[in-house]
Amino acid sequence: MAAFGMAGFAFFCAGASCLSTVSGTGWAGAADPSEWPEFRGGFGRGAADDETIRSHWSGTEGIAWKVDLPGKGASSPIVVGNLVILTASSGAREDQLHILALDKETGRTRWQRTFWATGRTLCHPTSAVAAGTPASDGRRIVALYSSCDLVAVDLEGRLLWQRNLAIEHPRSGNDVGMGSSPRIIDDTVVVQIDCQGDAFASGMDSATGADRWSVSRAKIASWASPLAVTTPSHGACVLLQNPLGLELRQAKSGSLVWSWKGECAGIPLTAESGGILYVPSDGIAAIAPMAQEAKPIWRSTKLSCGIASPLAWGNSIACINRAGVLGIANATDGRLRGQIRLAGSFWASPILVGNVIVAVNKEGKTFLVSVDDEPTIVAENQLPGTFTATPAVAGGSLYLRSDSLLWKVAAP
Amino acid sequence: MPIGDRDGVVDFCSPVKIARLNLSLAILTAKGANALEWFWIKLAAPPRGFFLALACLVAGIPLAYSTEVPPQSMAEAVSICRELSRASGTNGQAEMAAKADQIARLPAEWLTPCLVAFRDATPAGANWLRSGLERAADQFSDRLPLEELATLVGNATQSPRGRSLAFVWLKSQDRARADGLLDTLLDDPSLDLRRQAVEKLLASAGGKEQAAKKQTYRRGLAAARDIDQIEQIIAWLAEHGEQVDVAEVLGFVRQWRVSEAFDNAKGIGFEKTYPPQTGELARPDTSGWKVVASTDKHGTIDLNAALETKKGVLAYAVATVEMPRAGTAQVRIGSPCAVAVWVNGLPVMAHEIYHASEAVDQYIATADFCVGTNNIMVKCCQNEQTEPWAIDWKFQLRICDPLGSPLATQLKRAGDE
Repeated sequence: MAAFGMAGFAFFCAGASCLSTVSGTGWAGAADPSEWPEFRGGFGRGAADDETIRSHWSGTEGIAWKVDLPGKGASSPIVVGNLVILTASSGAREDQLHILALDKETGRTRWQRTFWATGRTLCHPTSAVAAGTPASDGRRIVALYSSCDLVAVDLEGRLLWQRNLAIEHPRSGNDVGMGSSPRIIDDTVVVQIDCQGDAFASGMDSATGADRWSVSRAKIASWASPLAVTTPSHGACVLLQNPLGLELRQAKSGSLVWSWKGECAGIPLTAESGGILYVPSDGIAAIAPMAQEAKPIWRSTKLSCGIASPLAWGNSIACINRAGVLGIANATDGRLRGQIRLAGSFWASPILVGNVIVAVNKEGKTFLVSVDDEPTIVAENQLPGTFTATPAVAGGSLYLRSDSLLWKVAAP
Repeated sequence: MPIGDRDGVVDFCSPVKIARLNLSLAILTAKGANALEWFWIKLAAPPRGFFLALACLVAGIPLAYSTEVPPQSMAEAVSICRELSRASGTNGQAEMAAKADQIARLPAEWLTPCLVAFRDATPAGANWLRSGLERAADQFSDRLPLEELATLVGNATQSPRGRSLAFVWLKSQDRARADGLLDTLLDDPSLDLRRQAVEKLLASAGGKEQAAKKQTYRRGLAAARDIDQIEQIIAWLAEHGEQVDVAEVLGFVRQWRVSEAFDNAKGIGFEKTYPPQTGELARPDTSGWKVVASTDKHGTIDLNAALETKKGVLAYAVATVEMPRAGTAQVRIGSPCAVAVWVNGLPVMAHEIYHASEAVDQYIATADFCVGTNNIMVKCCQNEQTEPWAIDWKFQLRICDPLGSPLATQLKRAGDE
């Protein structure tokens, strides 16, 4: 609930915008609506503000193409130029690591690269070795697998560099399966390897793979991904989240800019909007980055996240809880504006397309929920299969990954 | 925005374009040779140094990329592949990328000799080599050297990785021929090829009568090394009236002596040396130890059952195994708790991980064994998490060769049940 009320929120927002307006990622310029370059799209916001997607589809209707996948994965597709990029793993030991580049228009495989895992590939059945979503800066694609193998290829599938992080840090990894996605921020590839063994975060030159920085982290498991953040005073930064709190570090140097100690969730990732961080914890806590005050601006236990990350835009924040209830609240004070019960369990994070939240449940049903006023389900579309990957949207098309197929829902 | 083709701007860093640039420069140089000679003779002496330096600089740019020219001979190609196979995961990445570019332009007939370079490849080197060779193979989707690939697949002395790739390429063009090779690969040192051979064998049982079918499954069981495949076969045999002891087939060490519980509050015990680690109490005939025999199919030793359910404690377990010969072998342990293992008093591995999954063969390390009797000690630590999924306090262990074939047999000591 609101800890400070509107006046307090205004004060913190002013402070935040002065000290640390959180605004974007290393993806140069405004997000290109024809691309979706990383986990939760351009800026990692999970939002395609000006896009419109088809409202109805099924396994036989409204589908541009579908493609059989070479293996398992929970990673999201990304869209770069005319390519749709996806990762997967296969083999009896899940030690064949794939990067797949499909033609965006036809779904035809343009190239596929496969690497042998050099680290551990044990995984809980609900996760996958290819759980982290690849990232691209428009020239390169970097992919991080649960085996702690990080590879960079160009858009033609040429291996540029690789880092076998489980060899460099022999006790890194997690047999439940690592799920953190890499980010490219300010020409630096940032990875977050949170585990009970050799936990660390590193920033690497995106062109060469050489270390720019590496810091040890608390020996505690987390599946959160780095979040790109820009501050006027420190430039391009990365936010690192684990169950013990948040760290803001300069992306290029790794210098610690700010930290916050407090309970954070281990899986759903913090969302940012208007210079405020909305941190999944015991409910949601609104935190002003750079603030000396450790106390959140507000905290609401009426909003809670299950596995899926929260979504923040304008004056709104939305979460899907473990019971499959979508709640939408005011970003200013955490006041719950409305709730609607979806169905099933949600591993994929919701995304915002125009004024519609797209939420895909594990059972393959995609809910389109209007957020104009009260949340209202405007469409439900069923596809066969199991869906744990967050969807991608680019050029009016929606990309949905099941356990065996990638579906492109045609633009309207 | 980055400079690149997507913007309609030429990317001068693209290796393909650099190679084209080199070619253009070479043609221009040949055509202008006479003019340059005239210019050089006419040029006054002092500026010659400047122009010479300039010429060297201009020439140096394409020369710096000359490694991307395809190998001129098979020997050179194999040599480049061997260099790639020795790569580390951190240094010289640009150099390796350039070498992989060279390999990506190999003629089809050189691919098979280059697959041999996977032998002794480092983990990073194997991936560099694979990236180059797969790009090369992509160009010859219907012209791969099938005869040579088949020969390599059948040569068990070559690298399993190289042979597996050869098999994939062969199968992409001649599935029947590739499948035919599997009949000879049931005992193969490549786990991938062996698995496929077992799959084919089991599939062949479909049309046989029951006795022949069982015989086929028994053959499959003898050959299989992957746990899931072994369990699939044993389940089929059980369904058809033949009980097979899974733990016996997988070679789990099932007879242990378990110590009393020691303090592990706040995880302090993992690094702490308690008396069993000094050898003082490791003798199974010392009081305070109890005999525990697993009846679980995975040889699990349940310490909650043996010592009563406790949190924030640890226990030691010791076993004696018989090895047929001296040498190294793999110790394979699985546990949801933090574990450390010693063989004949020497530390083998330690993993301070609590309740992050459990699997057969979860942690694997190599240890030296002597012929005959060997002593194994496990330290298994429980933490203080209270969630229902954090109650388990157990482990299972087996000793194998690198393929997963069990090596040790177990001696029962006096008093063991």
